[in-house]
Amino acid sequence: MKKKLLSALLSTAMVASLLVGCGGDGGAATTDNNAAADNTAAATDNTAAADNTAAADNTAAADTSSDAAASGDKFYIYSWNTELGERLEYVYKAYPEIKDRVEYVNVGDSAIYQEKIDQLLQTPDAEDYPDMIAFEAGYIMKYTNSDYTIPVTDCGITDADLAEMYPYTITIATDQRDGSLKGLSWQACPGAFIYRTDLAESLLGVTSPDEMQAKINSWDAFLDTAREIKEKSGDATRILSSNGDVVNTFMSNKTQPWVTSDSVFHMDSAMEEYMDVVQVLESEDLTQKTTQWSDEWNAGPSTDAVFGYFGCTWFLHWTIKANCGGDAVGSGTYGLWNMCQGPAPYYWGGTWLGATANCSDTALAGQIMKSLCCDTETIQTLSEETLDYVNNKTAMKNLSDAGKGAYDFLGGQDFIAVFSPLAEDVDVSWMCAYDQKVNELLDTQVTAYARGDKDKETAIADFKAAVAEAYPALTVE
Amino acid sequence: MAKSSSNKRKTVEYSRYGYFFIAPFFIVFAIFQLWPLIYTMGLAFCENYTDTMFNVEVGPTFNGLANFKTIFVGNDGSLFDTYTFRALGNTIIMWLMNFMPQILLALLLAVWFTDTRVKMKAQGAYKILTFMPNIITAATISVLFYKLFDFPNGPINQFFVNSGIWSEPFRFLDTKWSTRGIISFINFWMWYGNTMIVLTAGVLGISPSLFEAARVDGASSWQIFKSVTLPLLRPIMLFTLVNSAIGGLQMYDIPKLLTTSGYGDPDYTTRTITMYIRELAFTGSRQMGKAAAASLVLFVVTLFFSLILFYIMRDKDAIKEKKAIKAAQKARKGAN
Repeated sequence: MKKKLLSALLSTAMVASLLVGCGGDGGAATTDNNAAADNTAAATDNTAAADNTAAADNTAAADTSSDAAASGDKFYIYSWNTELGERLEYVYKAYPEIKDRVEYVNVGDSAIYQEKIDQLLQTPDAEDYPDMIAFEAGYIMKYTNSDYTIPVTDCGITDADLAEMYPYTITIATDQRDGSLKGLSWQACPGAFIYRTDLAESLLGVTSPDEMQAKINSWDAFLDTAREIKEKSGDATRILSSNGDVVNTFMSNKTQPWVTSDSVFHMDSAMEEYMDVVQVLESEDLTQKTTQWSDEWNAGPSTDAVFGYFGCTWFLHWTIKANCGGDAVGSGTYGLWNMCQGPAPYYWGGTWLGATANCSDTALAGQIMKSLCCDTETIQTLSEETLDYVNNKTAMKNLSDAGKGAYDFLGGQDFIAVFSPLAEDVDVSWMCAYDQKVNELLDTQVTAYARGDKDKETAIADFKAAVAEAYPALTVE
Repeated sequence: MAKSSSNKRKTVEYSRYGYFFIAPFFIVFAIFQLWPLIYTMGLAFCENYTDTMFNVEVGPTFNGLANFKTIFVGNDGSLFDTYTFRALGNTIIMWLMNFMPQILLALLLAVWFTDTRVKMKAQGAYKILTFMPNIITAATISVLFYKLFDFPNGPINQFFVNSGIWSEPFRFLDTKWSTRGIISFINFWMWYGNTMIVLTAGVLGISPSLFEAARVDGASSWQIFKSVTLPLLRPIMLFTLVNSAIGGLQMYDIPKLLTTSGYGDPDYTTRTITMYIRELAFTGSRQMGKAAAASLVLFVVTLFFSLILFYIMRDKDAIKEKKAIKAAQKARKGAN
């Protein structure tokens, strides 16, 4: 009998030791939670004190302080790179008391970000459930058109807060079911064609952005100019680095979204034009034939091999400038760039921020969004220091008026003045929740067609088959 | 009477402890393997995906064999002309391309390393060198090969273009057969060391007196290999073959990491079945039901290949012997 008892004890001990990993964590987390709850209560009190705006705000804060005490954990914000984390520093500067509470999680890879978020959103009671998540333009609608996110009005954002924003940033983040706004962005990302001034002059005899624009104002003109550059440079320079560089321009000029609200998939005629342009670029050897974001491609701006890039606001600073091989006028290609609109207006990328359905503290979410996306003063400082083109008309106008837009990297051209009218004109009626995946599927077929592996009809048929395979609920025309 | 019963209990008690000690394994197995397995089988017969339009999960609701129908029958009604079977085909092609040279080279090296007449020097160093690629992670190796075969200015392309052999660089990783070849080569290179070690152990398990006897009888090296080593290596060969078939059909890391998009460039010709299952389950509409059905198909195919291997590698003499014994017993019984 004694031995039996002993053996039972031993095996219990073993099983217990197996589970102790989880148990230990759980225990630690609970104590942490209590500590966090204390912090939170203190933090929300501070917030309420700091925020003297309206009685409504105070009640919201009071409500959530009890909420926060109940759930009592850290406030998780998820994104796929360091960018948002760095921008949040501006919020912490305004509200230092929230810094300890906000836990910024960098998933680290935009390719797996959606998968990670999708799983987390299924577990509303989990410790690391996201309170706020960042969305990229390619898939924001998948989340804003769902019950996983809540309207910003629930976080205390009013229409007055949105007055300075570019309209397209609001349209994108609006739930198409009931018209409620689910996310805010601090940046606007209109795109332009960014080209080398010295090469333009020596190869094309072009001396101003307006003249350059005249040479590439349509796709036919663009291809002619591409041929001219290739010929006159004796094969040393190409107009673009990769064939894929043109994709965003075409995507932005679809007449309808990939999938309309009746779940029908459409292949837009602009997409056939896109396939043809890529095919010409490939078969006539008009680009360097690199792959976007590869080392080869990144090396382009520092050499004379590439004439220009299609790029938007962030692209100008973080891609071209970062890779130009210099950091002041005279070194590398620094200062030898200019911008013009290119064959068609477009926009590329951008990050939105939204609160999730089970957000533990909507007042804090509102506070962060308000500070980062709506507060003209904060956002203007942010733009001035980081060179982000921010989603605030007044801030951008102030900076342009103050002469802050004249950019030595662009040989003194005012980048704000170029982007501002483009930002106003951005049309996003072509966007849908399916964009990112469908664009990936299209890319595979466009590549095959451009290289002559299959004809256009087969490529389109294969593309439609791949879409039908990925989305069984769609009717593919 | 009392004495005997207590004696009896003593003998039983000891064997019982064993169950307590193996219980943790079975508990963990049941939670993390058995239950997911059963759940997957159930899910394969359910409609379960997420409608991207409004991000709403559909199902799981029972829909019979509908998932299997989309896996087996293509859009135009032709059997097996589907993405699933194309992915399965890619996997089998790339597995055969890496496995056949792998087992031949591993066998050759194993025989050389164990041959008492050859007596290779610095065997340890050779073994380390051949085993080394297996220790490096697949991700590292993928990056290495991705850079080597980069277009247009990877080292391989630079070599051929600068030396004047080719007039222009070649897109290694965007051409169907070169990409498949590179993936197969990496798998071959990573795993032949491992296979060699296993086969060496197998050869060392054969009694040396058999080799000596064969040599005394005047057998050549080839005859010894054919008539002594190979037949006696059969159980180890079977293990290696089955192991490799299971591993090969689940090929994922190298093709996933080596191609630019990670979806089996060019045009899905290097997409393996596991890559495809992952894509079904976690991207696009997150079709869990269909992914589960595809997993079951993979399971059946793996089982099929393993059974074929078991059949090919069966010990014919032993079976014949068994039959003869049985027949003899029957005959004796009949005589009696």
